[in-house]
Amino acid sequence: MSDTVTTRTTSAAARAVRLGARRPRRWGPAKIAGVVVVVVALLWSLLPLYWMLSTSFKDALEATRLDPTLVPQSFTSANYERLITGSLPFTTFLFNSLLTSLIAAVVCVVLSMFGGYSLSRAQWKLRTTTSYSILAMRMLPMIVLIGPLYLLLLETKLLNSYLGLILGYTTFGLPFGVWMMKGFMDAVPREIEEAARIDGYSRLQILFRIIVPLTLPGLFTTGTFVFMESWNNLIYPLTLITDIERQTLPAGLLLSFTGQFKTDWGGMMAASCITTIPLMVGFFLIQRSMVRGLTAGAVAGQ
Amino acid sequence: MGAATHKRALPRRRRRQAGRTPWFDWMVLPVLAVLAVVIGYPMVSAVILSTEKYNPVSGFPAQGVGLKNYDRLLNSDPVFWEALGNTAVYTFGSVIVASLLGLVLALLVENLSDRWRALRMLLLTPWAVPIIVVAFLFRYMFEDAGGIVNAVLLDVGVIGSPVDWLTSGRWALFTVTLANIWTQIPFFFLVFSAALAGIPTAVVEAARVDRSRGLSMVLQIKMPFLRGAFLVSSLIMVVANFNDFGKIWAMTQGGPGYSTTTLVVYVYRLAFEGFDLGYASAIGVVWLVLLLLFAIIYVRALQRDPA
Repeated sequence: MSDTVTTRTTSAAARAVRLGARRPRRWGPAKIAGVVVVVVALLWSLLPLYWMLSTSFKDALEATRLDPTLVPQSFTSANYERLITGSLPFTTFLFNSLLTSLIAAVVCVVLSMFGGYSLSRAQWKLRTTTSYSILAMRMLPMIVLIGPLYLLLLETKLLNSYLGLILGYTTFGLPFGVWMMKGFMDAVPREIEEAARIDGYSRLQILFRIIVPLTLPGLFTTGTFVFMESWNNLIYPLTLITDIERQTLPAGLLLSFTGQFKTDWGGMMAASCITTIPLMVGFFLIQRSMVRGLTAGAVAGQ
Repeated sequence: MGAATHKRALPRRRRRQAGRTPWFDWMVLPVLAVLAVVIGYPMVSAVILSTEKYNPVSGFPAQGVGLKNYDRLLNSDPVFWEALGNTAVYTFGSVIVASLLGLVLALLVENLSDRWRALRMLLLTPWAVPIIVVAFLFRYMFEDAGGIVNAVLLDVGVIGSPVDWLTSGRWALFTVTLANIWTQIPFFFLVFSAALAGIPTAVVEAARVDRSRGLSMVLQIKMPFLRGAFLVSSLIMVVANFNDFGKIWAMTQGGPGYSTTTLVVYVYRLAFEGFDLGYASAIGVVWLVLLLLFAIIYVRALQRDPA
């Protein structure tokens, strides 16, 4: 604190008191502009979400008022009750989404664990080529695949099945997962394995007893990522599922709220709130690894 | 066996073992098997389909037409070019605006103490909102009558009559891009925050001693360190926006008319509304080439200046 120095002159002391600053921190125009920008950014980020939450507790009349109310006047939980009891098969959608996303996450984690380990450690000739081919697949536009994939599932009678949908999710889950796990396994020192090899462990034993416990956070992160991406995906359920009873949450809600329930804004926002929860939880669980996940493999030698 | 022969035999055996590096490893096999089915086969199939005329609903078998599909999209399909333009606006508009705002935020929040951690988290929340929810939310907020945005703008007096944000060709692409920017600022904010934290303190201190402050500090000292982070993060988001289907489809279904139809939405409309799988595949292939070209340019830029 340099206050002791400044209080020698009365004008400086007066200024310090006026600013109410214990530290001589300057509130120049730049600083004030900065604070204003951050506050605006906060409002910009959070107001839409507040609006969603607020509307989900309004009745139909209030939700469509021309002069919107900031706080629900007709506070009601009817929108949420209707999700469970109404004609919209919301709980079915929720179940389908949870089931397919979870299975996709588990399948991708297990396969990526083997694949990532091999691409990280094993010496074989096509290793580099294989690694980069899988990396290139991360950039593929899914829409190029969707037509042929649709025909393939049509021929194998897998259209409209959970398995077909999960296969669709693996098109983004696997290339991502393999590179993610490869990255985590590259970070495990080789000396640890050498010690285990001398002790007579087989490759599988090394993988399960040494590598997996050390890369558990990586497995968890990969799984959460695949779960979130699957939960978010719209194009696969829209094309590969035609039976509304088998539909996932995003696609089911889109189909419902574009047709039959088009102007049920309250119900739509209530459904949106519920849909957001699993993703929020996942996001904040792995928030530290978000950037790493998205950039996995984007930088050579990472 | 004598010691002498043993000595000579050892290097040869080693060489033979080195030559026996296996071509393949079974552990990667399950991954490759699945990828071959869900990516390899569809890719090849898409290229073949792009030279055919095929409508799976009509009952007629696929009919080879050579390069006619490509000829059509280059010479006689105005919608293709419109979609290409929309894709460019949506992709680069989102990335440019979101990265700039993300950068500004990261710079402003950089020196906040740990007490303000929660503030960073709050700034990240839009990222955790599902795509479908973003679409619904913006559809509701930007509704012509009863939407909060029009209500506020009317109240303040910025506009005289309600703007048809999502129901007119004039504004729809803007609104959809805005929704996309909302979800992507947090990503750039997080990337740039990490990059800023990675700048060696010695560099910043030295610059401060040299009386470098404010804007000149940011532009001359910090920006060069952010170049790599900017290239990587914008590449990722350009690819993501190129491939984005969910937000646009859930907000406007590519309409009104074709005003928000990007290439991905156009391919979807052709394949699953018009069932013109051959032509849809041709566009998909062209687009794949565009994306690869873009990726190559970017990787070159990265290699020239490794971050």
